[in-house]
Amino acid sequence: MDLFSGTIQKLQNSLDYSAARNNAISNNIANVDTPGYKAKDVAFKDVLKGELDSISAKRTDSRHFQFSNTELEGYRTFQKNGSMYNNNENNVDIDKEMTELAKNQIYYQTLVDRISGKFKSMQNVLRGGN
Amino acid sequence: MSIFGGINTSASALTAQRLRMDVVSSNLANANTTRATKAEDGTAIPYRRKMVALAPTEQSFSSYLNRAKGASTGTQGVKATRIKEDETPFKLVYNPGHPDANADGYVEMPNVDPLKEMVDLMSATRSYEANVTAMNATKGMLMKALEIGK
Repeated sequence: MDLFSGTIQKLQNSLDYSAARNNAISNNIANVDTPGYKAKDVAFKDVLKGELDSISAKRTDSRHFQFSNTELEGYRTFQKNGSMYNNNENNVDIDKEMTELAKNQIYYQTLVDRISGKFKSMQNVLRGGN
Repeated sequence: MSIFGGINTSASALTAQRLRMDVVSSNLANANTTRATKAEDGTAIPYRRKMVALAPTEQSFSSYLNRAKGASTGTQGVKATRIKEDETPFKLVYNPGHPDANADGYVEMPNVDPLKEMVDLMSATRSYEANVTAMNATKGMLMKALEIGK
């Protein structure tokens, strides 16, 4: 039987995603006054799966990069298009970014709490409840 | 992706916004400076309003490749590329008693509009505050990560 039963792995992937998302949001806020900057966001890969499968590159060598990457990370960065631009072609919505920042922070802390709880219960079992 | 990537991003933005505030201060301080530089014929040239040009950092090939692969969050932070001068014409003010007045009694005054500067200052201050919040959020997450397994 798997000792960690996949939960730790899932939590770890989610923490990775959340950390990457925090970076993307920090970056968007940093570039709120940069002309021509386009906001970026991170999404779990399965959310974008349909989109990723729709394009495939014709490769003449197996070492060439594929359009749809097959990396281990469960997330993918993408550029936010289709939102309204400011007159300097920057599409960072500061209110939205600040909200996402707060949400992401709580999400991250919840994940850390869960992962700690998991370790605690395991420790409890190891000590036989003492 | 490094641990302190988010903090470094916010730090670069704090530097950039502070530079914007410094430039605004300089513009306001020189709103009445008629002798900033001298022309070749010895006449005084008034102060020109200055502006900061911002651009995202790390526009290297590898950063573009990584972004295309979706591996990284792309650029990291912001930088001030240059300080541009506002090329709008100087204001002509009738003031015959002024030492720099021309033969008709007009003085060329700097193209600084205090109202515009105040708006820029507010914008820079607000962006600065937003970046402080972002940095605190990143810090909180890093501190929380240290609690894993405690």
